[in-house]
Amino acid sequence: MNPPPAKVLGTSRREFLSQLGGGLGGVALAWFLDQNVLRGGRTPLPAAVPDFVPRAGSQFRPRAKRVIQLFMNGGASPMDTFDYKPELIRRHGQKFDPGDGRRVEAATSVPGMVMKSPFEWRQHGQCGRWVSSVLPCMAESVDDLAFLMSMTSRTNVHGPASYLMNTGSLLSGFPCMGSWLSYGLGRITDSLPSFVVLPDPRGLPYNQKGNFSSGFLPVGHQGTVFNTAGNELIAHLHAPSGNPLAIPAAEREGRELLASLNRRHQAAHETDLRLEGRIEAYELAARMQLSAPEAMDLEGETPATRQLYGMDQPVTADYGRRCLLARRLIERGVRFVQVWSGAGGASGNWDNHGSIARELPPIAAATDRPIAGLLRDLRARGLLEDTLVLWNTEFGRMPFTQGSDGRDHNGGTFVGWMAGAGVRAGVAYGESDPWAWQAGPGAVSTYDFHATVLHLLGLDHTKVAVYHNGVSRRLTDVHGEVIRAVLA
Amino acid sequence: MATLRIWAAGDGSGDVHWAYRPLARPAFPSIEDSQNTAHEARQHPVDLFVAARLAKEGWQLAPRAERRLLIRRLAYDLLGVPPNPREIDDFVADERPDAWERLVDRYLNSPEYGERWARHWMDAVHFAETHGNDQDRIRTNAWPYRDYLVNAFNADVPYTQFIQEQIAGDVLFPEKPAVTAALGMIAAGPWDESSLRDIREDTLDRQIGRYLDRDDMIGTVMATVISTSVQCARCHDHKFDPVPQRDYYALQAVFAGVERADRAYDLDPGLHHERQSLLQRKRAIGRKEKDLEAELLSAAGQGRIAHWELEQREAERAAHWQVLKPAQLASTEGSILSTETDHAVVSGGPTPVRDTYRVAVAGPLTGITAFRLEVLKDRRLPQHGPGRQTNGNFHLSEFAVTIGSGVRVALEDPTADFNQEGSSVQKALDKDEKTAWGIHPEVGKNHAAVFQLATPLTVAAGESAVFELKQFHGESHLIGRFRIAATTQPRPVRLAQRPGNISRILDMPVTERSTADRLELSWWWAERDLTDRLKKLPLPRSVYAAASEFEPNGSQVPSLRPRPIHVLGRGEITRPGAAADPGALACLVSLRSRFDLPLDAEEGVRRAALAGWLTALENSLTWRSIVNRVWHHHFGRGLVETLNDFGRAGAIPSHPELLDWLAVWFRDDAAGSFKRLHRLLLTSATWQQSATAQSGAAARDSDNRLLWRMNALRLDAEAIRDAVLRVSGDLDSRMGGPSDRQFELKAGIHVTPRVDYTVFSQGGPESCRRSVYRFLFRTLPDPFMSALDCPAGDQLVPVRSNSVTVQQALALWNDPLVLHQSLRFAGRLGRELPGPEAAIRRACEWCWGRPPTPDEAEALARYAERHGVAQVARLLFNSNEFVFVN
Repeated sequence: MNPPPAKVLGTSRREFLSQLGGGLGGVALAWFLDQNVLRGGRTPLPAAVPDFVPRAGSQFRPRAKRVIQLFMNGGASPMDTFDYKPELIRRHGQKFDPGDGRRVEAATSVPGMVMKSPFEWRQHGQCGRWVSSVLPCMAESVDDLAFLMSMTSRTNVHGPASYLMNTGSLLSGFPCMGSWLSYGLGRITDSLPSFVVLPDPRGLPYNQKGNFSSGFLPVGHQGTVFNTAGNELIAHLHAPSGNPLAIPAAEREGRELLASLNRRHQAAHETDLRLEGRIEAYELAARMQLSAPEAMDLEGETPATRQLYGMDQPVTADYGRRCLLARRLIERGVRFVQVWSGAGGASGNWDNHGSIARELPPIAAATDRPIAGLLRDLRARGLLEDTLVLWNTEFGRMPFTQGSDGRDHNGGTFVGWMAGAGVRAGVAYGESDPWAWQAGPGAVSTYDFHATVLHLLGLDHTKVAVYHNGVSRRLTDVHGEVIRAVLA
Repeated sequence: MATLRIWAAGDGSGDVHWAYRPLARPAFPSIEDSQNTAHEARQHPVDLFVAARLAKEGWQLAPRAERRLLIRRLAYDLLGVPPNPREIDDFVADERPDAWERLVDRYLNSPEYGERWARHWMDAVHFAETHGNDQDRIRTNAWPYRDYLVNAFNADVPYTQFIQEQIAGDVLFPEKPAVTAALGMIAAGPWDESSLRDIREDTLDRQIGRYLDRDDMIGTVMATVISTSVQCARCHDHKFDPVPQRDYYALQAVFAGVERADRAYDLDPGLHHERQSLLQRKRAIGRKEKDLEAELLSAAGQGRIAHWELEQREAERAAHWQVLKPAQLASTEGSILSTETDHAVVSGGPTPVRDTYRVAVAGPLTGITAFRLEVLKDRRLPQHGPGRQTNGNFHLSEFAVTIGSGVRVALEDPTADFNQEGSSVQKALDKDEKTAWGIHPEVGKNHAAVFQLATPLTVAAGESAVFELKQFHGESHLIGRFRIAATTQPRPVRLAQRPGNISRILDMPVTERSTADRLELSWWWAERDLTDRLKKLPLPRSVYAAASEFEPNGSQVPSLRPRPIHVLGRGEITRPGAAADPGALACLVSLRSRFDLPLDAEEGVRRAALAGWLTALENSLTWRSIVNRVWHHHFGRGLVETLNDFGRAGAIPSHPELLDWLAVWFRDDAAGSFKRLHRLLLTSATWQQSATAQSGAAARDSDNRLLWRMNALRLDAEAIRDAVLRVSGDLDSRMGGPSDRQFELKAGIHVTPRVDYTVFSQGGPESCRRSVYRFLFRTLPDPFMSALDCPAGDQLVPVRSNSVTVQQALALWNDPLVLHQSLRFAGRLGRELPGPEAAIRRACEWCWGRPPTPDEAEALARYAERHGVAQVARLLFNSNEFVFVN
């Protein structure tokens, strides 16, 4: 890599436009492309800024336009869901010894004895994927999915691992994938945020809002939390009800008068684009006040649809509702929706230290039918053509016991899957070692995973970069290989 | 159209990069076009450089802005609040030739100046008041560092001292213990509690966590003080800048003896000295320093221990423990409890995950002052107990005694003969079922705990006392065998904590003890004695800061010596290379890059050496960095735009000679006085220019890099909030102290609490102080402030982003603070002024710094007539003219 050329100055207009969210995808894109060129990249600047088609470092067309990421918070156990390990049955109850004198350690406990999965396993679909009995509905969809059987993390600790999976860094303060996509691709709609997060109503995941942060990217690209449980859907969408100033007529007239005062002020400062931007932002805000509640209103959905998502059963009602909301949001132009299963903390999530047999089935059941329903619904509506669906977690779990029959954290290997736009359905890439302790051939780092997602959205992960505090930063740091085997 | 070229000399290969060159005071330039440049621009050093550069393009400085705009600009710049309309009028009418200088001085002397400028520094060092990450715990004692900053700016502490205090104030200024709070800088950033406290000490994840934690400390110091990004060199030699890996790990070694923790200090120098010497001696004892041995083994030393042993034995004899016979036993979760002949209770049968044992003892009991719980070893238990867990341990979450119909007996000040690290017996009385007393690794031995009664207890005949042993922590950490006793001995009734090896020695007659035994006992006794003496001192103050000495926090314990640091191959923990000695960067050739410290020097000496390196007169980076930082906050952009990166990937100076001139002037002439630097910049014609565009320059330098006008700046989050409070009349001027929590706080699922900003009473005592006193929650920041680009404290933020978003519009329009203060503002205007017309006029003067035009006044009056003045206030708070300063 050559040192960068002397810096050419004068980016404020582009910078400003990118902060506004682009309005049109290409504008923001042009900015970082531009930055990249300035930093010594080789991609020439596009001759003209396109209207929408993302051109990010792109010599290729995007296969996906939008993403729904289903995030299993806490570290979903691979050897109890998708990664069938007969070796664990053979060695059940023995001391875990991977051989070669390799050191065995666990983050929060003393390593126990080898433990087989307590669940039934069967092969499913044309592809013959093994799935355990905790995910019977997803098992029926395996032919739609591309599995990454041996993803790896660099840590066994929730905080850093959640950051790594979401932002590509072990440390806090970096932009998450949704923010990079929002920043890189711009908005599809003006009426809704481009990146929406639907947390578990029981609470935020590990790292709380840190996982949805835009880091050093402009704050407009951070994940907007739609709070499906509380009384306020989106922070600040409306004045608190009952406030003496919350009077629709006054607010409407006020906005008009504000616009006219702002225009008058702007006339004296024509070159300052921020002023025009603020005027536009208030217009868009008024639009969002109408469109966000509409997107969240499930009145128009048929009983059959609700049932498909499991909304008729108490166990699946919540996650089903949020999956359905995710579909409605992407239909309306949201770029990236993240649907979390499980809050932070020691229970009610996928962090099954205490007992796999007792703790895993309920959280798996809460998501199983909703996720299968979502896939089916997206396909039926033709949305799977340009929507990428991701199923992820921050790390796996140990092949040996913690306490009586729990499992401790394991960044060594874990499973994720992708489906939809641009994904080769029915494949499984990579494999873990015989115990699902460490990655085996075809290991996929979080960087590789992010590179692949960006690729599917038409972005070259090596070129989506932003200079910050002395370093040119990417979602994939200095790593990342696109996993071609899972591309259609 | 030609692109404007800004070029720093010597950027070509082979030359020393501009930032590393030694500082020399440049000569003033001569201005080429004599007729174009106004006379006054030739009087001021800043203007000379700026005007000379403009003249090369055939341009000149813009005319001075009108006074109304200038005072508004100045008030937000120095104080972060708008000027009072009366102040504006007075200044506009002030005909004295030095009216401007007087105004600048008045503002610089206002305490609001420190509140404004401390916040810039807090951004730079990413200060917040929680740990961040998944266990985002509150740091109750972070705020003293914020107060240190406010006071330091107001007192105009010279820059050299300012930096030295923050890096090594404890070592360099021992006579001023209050500056201990300055060490908050090193600890300002996030801390990964899971990795550094909760996971196992013997894991690679723990070691990685430590390197990354120090990495943040290094990054904070080097980016902030010398505008150099060193962190790339964690994995490889820096690609662009002369920062090799060995320099990076030399910096790691500087901080290898400190951690982020609550650090004790005292304001009284005498007391501070006493506490610090005791702590220092305790460290020396902890390290078992060879030259202390003779003293410990001397007759005097051994005599003190013998005296103590005698006291102990007498106390034990006096205690008269009466073992209580259980009358009734119960387990709530299915353990089977039975009594043995010695009145011990044995637990067997199934092993539930958690359990509560209840033991009833029949009265009468008279004048009881303490209860003793013995946990007993037993061959039938795993590892011989006393616990039922496979490792022989137990976890007693809570111990309680009730009498009669459930009246709870007040227990306090418990002691045990042994406490597991992080699980002391205090945890059995803390009413937190998630914490517990344990004895690992001292399993297979008897242990005991004593719980004192707040007042002596009597249980009548026919009544009973019920002992409740909750064991909820961990999994199946149940007690296997135990016994309860009572005493009437006057308080205090306490057990001395003793590790197993010490019990062995103490149980031996003195004459049979070997020298090694006596020495071992002496080390233990001396440490214990120092702990006691420290406990007897008045409670210290505490600041969350870099600390080498602190109360253990779970498995985070102070290291007696700096931890060894190795150069890590590719930054991988599994590839440790050569050991690293403390030092700094070799790229500044005029300074020694290795500190060559004696191996046994205290860790603080390392930090002091770094502080010396950073503040050396020859450190060209330091002086260029700080004048550029201050310039940025006055002009909205640095002379070098990348405030934290003067390396080759960073920007180049737009006015290199001016930068160097300012650096030398600040260092030598102003002796590092911030206030003198502010005064210099603010009295320049460059700063006082109009912000209106000039057509010629705008076409070729639309970014205004050459400063042909002033930049119009958007108010930052704090200035907007503080301005709203100031104009409504509600701004509370109380300074300092613990931060205002503008949210409802509830227990969370795990460590991180639940925080709800919507449930907060506007107008209460915690709602109206300046924004610098808001509590800063890392992973749960205030959505109103976030929408206005207030950083969350995860990243160093030398330059705030300046976004325009829909969320921001919604926040300013709908946030409860804005709505409440709109009503308050309207109320104030109604009280102070005769009618709506005057009220609207005054409202505009407050918000825009000018009266409304007749058209504006009329439109606003019509709106007020229909919807009230409060809606006008809300509208003004949302207007572009309010949020921008020209």
